[in-house]
Amino acid sequence: MRDVSPELIHTFSLLMILTSFAAVESRNLRHATIAYLGQALLICALLLAYSVLNKALLYWVATALITKVILVPWFLWRSTTGAEQETKPIIGFGLSAMLLVALLATMYRLTHAYAILFVNTTEELTSIAELNLAIAFTVFVLGLYSILTRRDAVKSVIGLCLLENGVHLSLVSLAPTIKETALAGIATEVVVTVYLLLYIIGGIRDRFGTADTFKLSELHW
Amino acid sequence: MPIESTSILPLLAVGIPGIAGTLIFALGRFTVWLREILALLGTLGALVASILIGIHTVKGYAPTAVGRQFYADPLSALLVVLVSLIALLATVYSLKYMRHTVADSGLPHTTTIGRLTAYYGWLMLFISTMMWACLSNNIIMLYVAVEASTITSGLLVAFYWDKRSLEAGYKYLMLLTVGITFSLFGCVLVYATGANILGGSRGLLLSELKAVASQFPTMTAILASAFLIVGFGTKAGVAPFHPWLPDAHAEAPTPVSALLSGVMLKVAIYAMVRTISLFYPSFPPIATFALALGVFTLVIGDIMAVAQDDLKRMLAYSSVSQIGYVLMGFGIGTQLGIYAGLFHLANHALAKALLFLAAGAVIYSSGLRRLSELGGLAKRMPVTSFCFFVGALAVAGVPPFNGFQSKLALFVAGGNAGNWWAVVIGTGASLVTLLVLLKAAKTVFWGQLPTAFEKTIALKEAPLSVLIPMVLLSILCIVIGVYPKAVYIPLKSAASVVQTISSPVTSVASGDRADVHMGALEKHR
Repeated sequence: MRDVSPELIHTFSLLMILTSFAAVESRNLRHATIAYLGQALLICALLLAYSVLNKALLYWVATALITKVILVPWFLWRSTTGAEQETKPIIGFGLSAMLLVALLATMYRLTHAYAILFVNTTEELTSIAELNLAIAFTVFVLGLYSILTRRDAVKSVIGLCLLENGVHLSLVSLAPTIKETALAGIATEVVVTVYLLLYIIGGIRDRFGTADTFKLSELHW
Repeated sequence: MPIESTSILPLLAVGIPGIAGTLIFALGRFTVWLREILALLGTLGALVASILIGIHTVKGYAPTAVGRQFYADPLSALLVVLVSLIALLATVYSLKYMRHTVADSGLPHTTTIGRLTAYYGWLMLFISTMMWACLSNNIIMLYVAVEASTITSGLLVAFYWDKRSLEAGYKYLMLLTVGITFSLFGCVLVYATGANILGGSRGLLLSELKAVASQFPTMTAILASAFLIVGFGTKAGVAPFHPWLPDAHAEAPTPVSALLSGVMLKVAIYAMVRTISLFYPSFPPIATFALALGVFTLVIGDIMAVAQDDLKRMLAYSSVSQIGYVLMGFGIGTQLGIYAGLFHLANHALAKALLFLAAGAVIYSSGLRRLSELGGLAKRMPVTSFCFFVGALAVAGVPPFNGFQSKLALFVAGGNAGNWWAVVIGTGASLVTLLVLLKAAKTVFWGQLPTAFEKTIALKEAPLSVLIPMVLLSILCIVIGVYPKAVYIPLKSAASVVQTISSPVTSVASGDRADVHMGALEKHR
């Protein structure tokens, strides 16, 4: 069996952080979509690198290509027609960047200290898995951060996609030998959720005249 | 141990409503009645399959399918019977109710037909995914099924497509998907660690994980449980993760509200108990955490219910509170606690579905839903009024209704386990529930009719297909309350499959994984 190249995986993982940051911080929703597309490609590359351990992952590369690289960006692109500029978020760029660095450092420290408890791969793969987990959790938290602090509903959906990417990355790191049926189920669900959310956001634009979630105030308590 | 036997029943229970839903989407546009017939057949088929599963499991058999990916024990059986029963009643209720509300919405006729096709189609898929969640033996698929039930119900919540329902639908899909993602993390952690001990894909099967949960490193068990509690708890409406719940329950069409509150919350709490109880014997503090969260939830739900003017929102907050009681039972963690939790789960499913359906009948006939606008309906709607009172008293836990029996069991279990603080808070909150629900019932059905209705005869009792499901649920609430022994055996066998905090810690000889992990951690530091 060939080895997984650690350098390659490190590079991919770090690029994932950059694409997440770009997706969260870009004020133009189409640019954010492109950043997300970049991240989706990186995930495919990462899965491909891992597939030397488990051939079943090749199946997931295909699924990820269809769902993350083609369908989700397509849906996002379609829904941002005529509404490319994001509603101004609560937290500005400078503070956001500082938060990101702090977040990354914390996550890296935390997962490095505890990942050993969960990682079930062999010795030499542990360090890769640790790095991956740190990255996965950071992407996850960045997604969550985007959902919590962005007013634009489409940006929240992009945040949700990041969140899911984080989980999927951790899934591959923690359980590289997982069955393909489970993977297909998880991957399909994200696409359907994104589609339905954007469909409802279309309705919201129609009725409220905006996708600003702060304006959704029909329901209180 | 039950005798496992390969059976087609689990597949039928999931497949029949699933196929009915697909057929409705494909054929529903041709005739008006076809989708309704298909929906009725789909839910009826699911109920028959579920009852057969129930009979098998009580006899000591465990029907399995697709290489043990589907596995029905008495706990699954209890849930699928509840889901399919409420689903059938909600479908019968939908027949007249949905035609009426869609006709009222002022949409063009062609759109109306499309809307109803979508309604019944999604409804069947929603039911199918809930059945799947209850029968799945694969921990990752359990997550997938629970999330699928969010997806299939998303458009049902936003069905009316007006400002309020769109906002509710957006919040519902967004908050639940984010929340439930936490449980995926939890499931992955359990699977990854389990697979390490068991080897290969056996780590995916809940029935296998039970035997090795004691060998999980403490940190993993606690972290995984925390993720599972947050994830499935969000879906179950456990406070403080409940903000989606009142919006979705209030804005969805009433039969869907009855399903959301009656069974979807139960499926989520089932998923939570199924997974975290794996760790009960070895890590009892997890149960204590669930208990504290349950008590917190029941208090929050009650406080919020007091402040509501919208009838359906008030019922929704009351559901938050009652889910707190169910979680309290599971958190007590003893055999009696689990039994009481399951008993209350079943009772609340019946009584709250009844309350939502009765509230829907009020909306159907009067077009109003604010408590401050309603009054004196008992004269014009005697059956609905009777059913609402039965539901209210049952949820509040007044004898001789079913809620009394399960709350009594809950409090006895709490006392036996020495959790007196929880019993005291639970009893107090129960009184608040009684006050809130009785006040609402009094406002809506007694007193003065709104002046707009006084002179007209337009306000009359809801049609028969709306009343029959309510009457049947009322009868069940009373029968179980008067004669609780009727459900003793299925509940007891369901409770016996859940691990308790005092279950013997089982251990499979495969090296002491926990020690290996802890050693590795020490070295790493």
